[in-house]
Amino acid sequence: MEIVLIDQISPDQVIIWSWKFITLNVTILYTWLVMGILLFVSWLATRNLSSELNVSRWQHFLEVVISVIRGEISEMTKKNADAFIPLIGTLFLFICTSNILVVVPGFIAPTSSITTTAALATCVFIAVPYFGIRRTGLLHYLKEYFQPNFIFFPFHVMGEISRTLALTVRLFGNIMSHEKVVGILLLVTPFLFPIVMQALGLLIGVIQAYIFAILSMVYIASALSAEEEVHSHVKKEGMKA
Amino acid sequence: MHIDWFVFAAQIFNFLVLMYLLKRFLYGRILKAMDDREAKIAARFAEAQALKEKATEDSEFYETRNQEIAEKTEHLLNEATMAAENRRKELMEQVRAEVDQVKTRWQDMLVREQDAFFHDLRQRAAKQLYATARKALADLADADLEERIVDEFIRRVKTLDEEKSLQIRKATQGKTNQINIQSAFEISEDRQAQIHEALKDRISSSFTIRYLLQPDVVSGIELRVNGHKIAWSLNEYLETLVESLTETLQREAHAA
Repeated sequence: MEIVLIDQISPDQVIIWSWKFITLNVTILYTWLVMGILLFVSWLATRNLSSELNVSRWQHFLEVVISVIRGEISEMTKKNADAFIPLIGTLFLFICTSNILVVVPGFIAPTSSITTTAALATCVFIAVPYFGIRRTGLLHYLKEYFQPNFIFFPFHVMGEISRTLALTVRLFGNIMSHEKVVGILLLVTPFLFPIVMQALGLLIGVIQAYIFAILSMVYIASALSAEEEVHSHVKKEGMKA
Repeated sequence: MHIDWFVFAAQIFNFLVLMYLLKRFLYGRILKAMDDREAKIAARFAEAQALKEKATEDSEFYETRNQEIAEKTEHLLNEATMAAENRRKELMEQVRAEVDQVKTRWQDMLVREQDAFFHDLRQRAAKQLYATARKALADLADADLEERIVDEFIRRVKTLDEEKSLQIRKATQGKTNQINIQSAFEISEDRQAQIHEALKDRISSSFTIRYLLQPDVVSGIELRVNGHKIAWSLNEYLETLVESLTETLQREAHAA
């Protein structure tokens, strides 16, 4: 059995086209595919949007998904959730769709590439101060970094960076390792067992999408100086992860 | 672990584009549709609530009205019943009065008929009796009944008590000193002279006598002067007979 390096098992390594520093690899390609699917379903659901009591199945499905996201966000922030829905909702839908599509043979989840998870975590990293400053003001937001006193400033900064890193690695590690485990199991026990692992993979994929979205929301909520309840939620989520 | 920075930037860009597109095509629309629906449902609920309240109000209103109508109906029914009862009593009274009237009329008529009958009976009986008596007298005494009647009359004049003769005398001394003698039969000249004689002896001589033929004076002769009279006729006997007959008939009628 040939030993492969971690660098070589990422979909980033499968380059389809490249010109100078511009490269088009499988990660970007499948990202577009996922984007395309999401946009197509959105278009399908919203083209005959109705605010009447009788709605189409697609609209109903998406309404359920979005109202669940909205409910989760509202529960956490105790504020109007609509401002956070584009970010948190997109994170969840994108990661969830990517992870679920793993069951399709030949599809490699973009989330199994550390570049993608890092990009998503970076978006969250930027979103936290963005929402914090927008809600409480720059001064008040920066003041939080010096609480309870200035000595804690580097720890706060380290906390910010480390949790972004944690987001990146958690998602990447889970998805990538699952794919690798299924690949290895195929070699060891080629029949029933990989199927069970695939089913487990679906569960893990959805849970990871949920965790990523929820943690992002928790970070943003903490920046909005949310109540004590949020911190207990953070702990709970941290333990789950 | 290798990170391709171009891919990293591209993924951030992709994510932002996806976020924008989803916001535009999915969240915005769906959230709006959901909110609209919620507002619509809330409005419907509010409307339903308002309608329910109105329905309750209406129901109470109509219930009250029904009760009023029922009360009014009962009141009217009672009034009508009372009016009908009064009317019935009135009609009964009226009918009773009419019946009484008819009865009275009938009874009057009956009495009249009875009277007429008895009058007729009396007349017939008298005539019969008169004819029978005359025949009997003529057959048995060999004397004319009329003669006997005149004899009796003359006897009565002659045996007139003082008081009566005085009264008659006074009566003849009025404006008209005329004495009427009524009889059911012709009195012969001789008999008239005898009567005249008897009267002259007993009463006075200053009068004139007028003889009148009167069939009503059944088998008799009668002297009348200013409300006083001397008479003999079968009427007295007949009246007794008729009275006795009437009593018998009435007794019979009551028994029936």
